[in-house]
Amino acid sequence: MMEFLNLILEPLEEVFSKFKVFLPNLVAMLVIMVLGFILARLIKVVLVKFLIAINFDSWSDRMGFTTLMRKGDIWAKPSATLGGIVFWLLVILTLMIGLSALNIPAVDSLVEQFFSYVPRIFSSAMILIVGYVLAGFISQGVLIAAVNSGYHYAKLLAEAIRTLLMVLILAMAMEQLQIAPSIVLAAFSIIFGGIVTALAISFGVGGIDAARRMIEREASEKRGTEAKDEIEHI
Amino acid sequence: MNAVTLRPDVHEQIGQIGSVDIVVGIPSFNNARTIGHVVRAIQAGLAKYFPSHRAVIVNSDGGSSDGTIDVVHKSSLEDFNAILLHHRVEPISKIAFPYAGIPGKGSAFRSIFEIARALDAKACAVVDSDLRSITPEWVELLLKPVLEGGFDYVAPLYHRHKFDGTITNSIVYPLTRALYGKRVRQPIGGDFGFSGELARFYLNQDVWESDVARFGIDIWMTTTAIANGFKVAQSFLGAKIHDAKDPGADLSSMLYQVVSATFELMESHSEVWMPIRGSEPATTFGFEYTVGLEHVNVNTARMLNLFREGLKNLREIWLGILGAGDFREVERLGNLSDNEFCFPIGLWTRVIYDYAIAFHQKKLPAEHLIKSLTPLYLGKTASFILLAQDMEGAEAEAEIEKLCMEFESNKDYLVTSWKQFQ
Repeated sequence: MMEFLNLILEPLEEVFSKFKVFLPNLVAMLVIMVLGFILARLIKVVLVKFLIAINFDSWSDRMGFTTLMRKGDIWAKPSATLGGIVFWLLVILTLMIGLSALNIPAVDSLVEQFFSYVPRIFSSAMILIVGYVLAGFISQGVLIAAVNSGYHYAKLLAEAIRTLLMVLILAMAMEQLQIAPSIVLAAFSIIFGGIVTALAISFGVGGIDAARRMIEREASEKRGTEAKDEIEHI
Repeated sequence: MNAVTLRPDVHEQIGQIGSVDIVVGIPSFNNARTIGHVVRAIQAGLAKYFPSHRAVIVNSDGGSSDGTIDVVHKSSLEDFNAILLHHRVEPISKIAFPYAGIPGKGSAFRSIFEIARALDAKACAVVDSDLRSITPEWVELLLKPVLEGGFDYVAPLYHRHKFDGTITNSIVYPLTRALYGKRVRQPIGGDFGFSGELARFYLNQDVWESDVARFGIDIWMTTTAIANGFKVAQSFLGAKIHDAKDPGADLSSMLYQVVSATFELMESHSEVWMPIRGSEPATTFGFEYTVGLEHVNVNTARMLNLFREGLKNLREIWLGILGAGDFREVERLGNLSDNEFCFPIGLWTRVIYDYAIAFHQKKLPAEHLIKSLTPLYLGKTASFILLAQDMEGAEAEAEIEKLCMEFESNKDYLVTSWKQFQ
């Protein structure tokens, strides 16, 4: 009977002793997560207040981020959205740190993989943000310069430049994230090359008359303005 | 902040000269064709009107490759009898050197101010190096109000063709006058007289590493003098005829340089201009006379086409700057035919004030913002030309006066909007 009882109690003792060893890790994880969550909330509140103080929402309006958010069906203020993003990033970070406190080899390797991937996420996010601002800036500059030069297709030119730049930036961001890099590279080459080839064919063959009309129109207007103003603006 | 690097040979020349009463500066860059005439006119002016004053002519050059500096050294008035001068004349020294620092007219002026300070000059003048119409009388008219009238700053007053100087006439003059309350007709004329004290004041300002060193020095000098309470006058110099400008010079870049400099000054002097209402005339020296001016060709159809292109393509930008109400009015102008086109002065005033506020709010990058004004400016210019084509010069001037009054009477709108974004 005793032997039978030992057979039952031994695994239970073993489980209990393992649980005793594991319990501090679990408590540590819970403490880390609770503290991390509180800290994340605190940082979010402070960050949002700071962003409001430095007029981040107006800056986002000017840079076109607000419009981009609205297109993506996000209706919160840019400051609140950034605060939310930072909050959830901190929660994920806390979760990863908490999980690593459990000292479970499988979880440890998962956490390690996550942390080695974080710099890529960060750099691709930076590429997207900086690229979006830069593409907007360049296309706006092209639009204004083209209008001031009397170019008739200014908006079309500016939009084409913005689209090409955004394709380039998306390809760079995906390459950074290592999402099917060979496919991204091939797709990018096909899209970029395709656009150029399509333009060349449509202008050179299909739209030869339209192209001639456009060029002649620009040229005739230029000729017309040769006998131009002699006024001194300053 | 106050130090400018002058070459050792310039220091040596300054040491040899010691001190002077008058410094006349000529900023230059590849002006070998015209600068000789300018130097001789100044020498004649100094000899004729200031024979007992010690004077120096300073050529601050931007690294010309056409021998401008050599021309300055070689140019001199040989025959003083030709200008009916028979008495003793104090020798007139010349210093010609390439200036150091950021390339631009502002850096050239900085070196001239520095030399004026080192030589303890009582009065200074600066004149453009491409002038063809400068006469010895310009020297008297720019310097005498300083030396004998107690004035600190003398702006030029020219007779120009009614279609010339449109950026001055439609933006800079009405805006500066409404802001600072002083009717200085040519705030960016390019030829000025000023006291040694004001030159030292200019040197002490922390602007010499900014855009002022590159462009916008003219409006900066005028505004700084008015806003800081210096005594300001203007002198009638006759016609201003100068070498043909580079035909490839981009209008929108010109507009950007002038307007951004004016708007930047609004930022730094907001405490000064906000309480001012109305304006007072500036004391004017010189005998005004009518000048025969050459015919000027204009192509208003091209200007109006560019205005309509702007309306078609810059809709979102203009809407964001002008607001829905004024944009609708601008849109209405786009539907008018060339013959009936008329840009109302009230609308133009609000356009300029809205752009100033947008600049203050940093709604767009400064260069994009001001360059987007170009089609509107061309619309306004075409409107003025159509209106004034059959007018005499005085009638055209009266139209500019009306515009100035509109700027003055609408100033509350500017002040109220500005305060909202402080």
